Amino acid sequence: MKKLILFFIQIACLTALYQLSVWTVSVLHIPIPASVFGMLTLLLLLLTGVVPDRFIGSGAAFLNKHLAFFFIPIAVGLMAYGDLIRSDGLALFLMIAGSSIIGLLITAGLSMILSAKRRSKQ
Amino acid sequence: MTILYIALTVAVYLGARVISMRFPSPFTTPVFTSTAVVIAILLAFNVSYEAYTPAKDMMTFLLGPATVALAVPLYHNREVLLERLVPAVVGLVVGTMSTIASAVGLSAAFGLSETIQATAAVKAVTTPVAIEAALIIGGDPSLAAAFVMTAGIFGAVFGPFLLNVFHIKDPFSRGLGIGTVSHGIGTSQAVLEGPVQGAVSSAAMGVASIITSLVLPWFFPLL
Repeated sequence: MKKLILFFIQIACLTALYQLSVWTVSVLHIPIPASVFGMLTLLLLLLTGVVPDRFIGSGAAFLNKHLAFFFIPIAVGLMAYGDLIRSDGLALFLMIAGSSIIGLLITAGLSMILSAKRRSKQ
Repeated sequence: MTILYIALTVAVYLGARVISMRFPSPFTTPVFTSTAVVIAILLAFNVSYEAYTPAKDMMTFLLGPATVALAVPLYHNREVLLERLVPAVVGLVVGTMSTIASAVGLSAAFGLSETIQATAAVKAVTTPVAIEAALIIGGDPSLAAAFVMTAGIFGAVFGPFLLNVFHIKDPFSRGLGIGTVSHGIGTSQAVLEGPVQGAVSSAAMGVASIITSLVLPWFFPLL
């Protein structure tokens, strides 16, 4: 029971931090998304020890594990593009797939090759 | 009805998770199968996306806090990230620019409109950044959200598979690639693959969105 209450407090704290980020980003016109700003803020709080890891650990782990769930209702929005999908769907899919593959392999490949080089130097 | 739509989405997601664990395959990735099943059910019962929207708003209430929570794996893996900062940043910058350039190039090659070309340029980054960046370079913001979703699902479904095909086994580089081209949706899959992948993917998603918003206004006109 105590664990469950703690869990809800952790989720509430993360929500408060996110709402605070939304507010900060809009008031100060910071050109990065509120969620990324909140992530950086929490990272800073953890690094400085202001918020010890165990204070939010289990709530954060739960949200991380089910992150995919929160994208499903948004992705369902694709159903509103039926007409476009019927007319240009294949070309659009190939474009998105092709450029994702190019970006993925270049990013991952480059990082792997450069890391290996640095390691062999040391 | 809203409660029914929420129950439906949760049930489909939980079922999809069980199936993906029992039959691990790119095609059983929960975000892909759940989205497809929910759309199919809504279409079968003639429910419009507008009718589903109140349920969507309630379910996505925790998306922001969940993204903030990605700081925890980031914190746990801070040493790996710092140690490999240079290769990571080089990979990220070059990868982000090549995914933008290839999206615009492929759209032009397929004879898609200029609005679509501009919208395609933003497809790899998280939705709020994509929408704003699309507006700046003459793209369509709601279409941008659709492209972002498709790119994210594609990365979550095929990213790990493609990395296997090309023998990229290093967890750090896998996370970096997935986060760079498929933002939060890819990250949600990377988190499940392993802690390093999840942490690096979270960082890559954040940095890619910042790079894209900085680079796009001058890079896009060059393409």
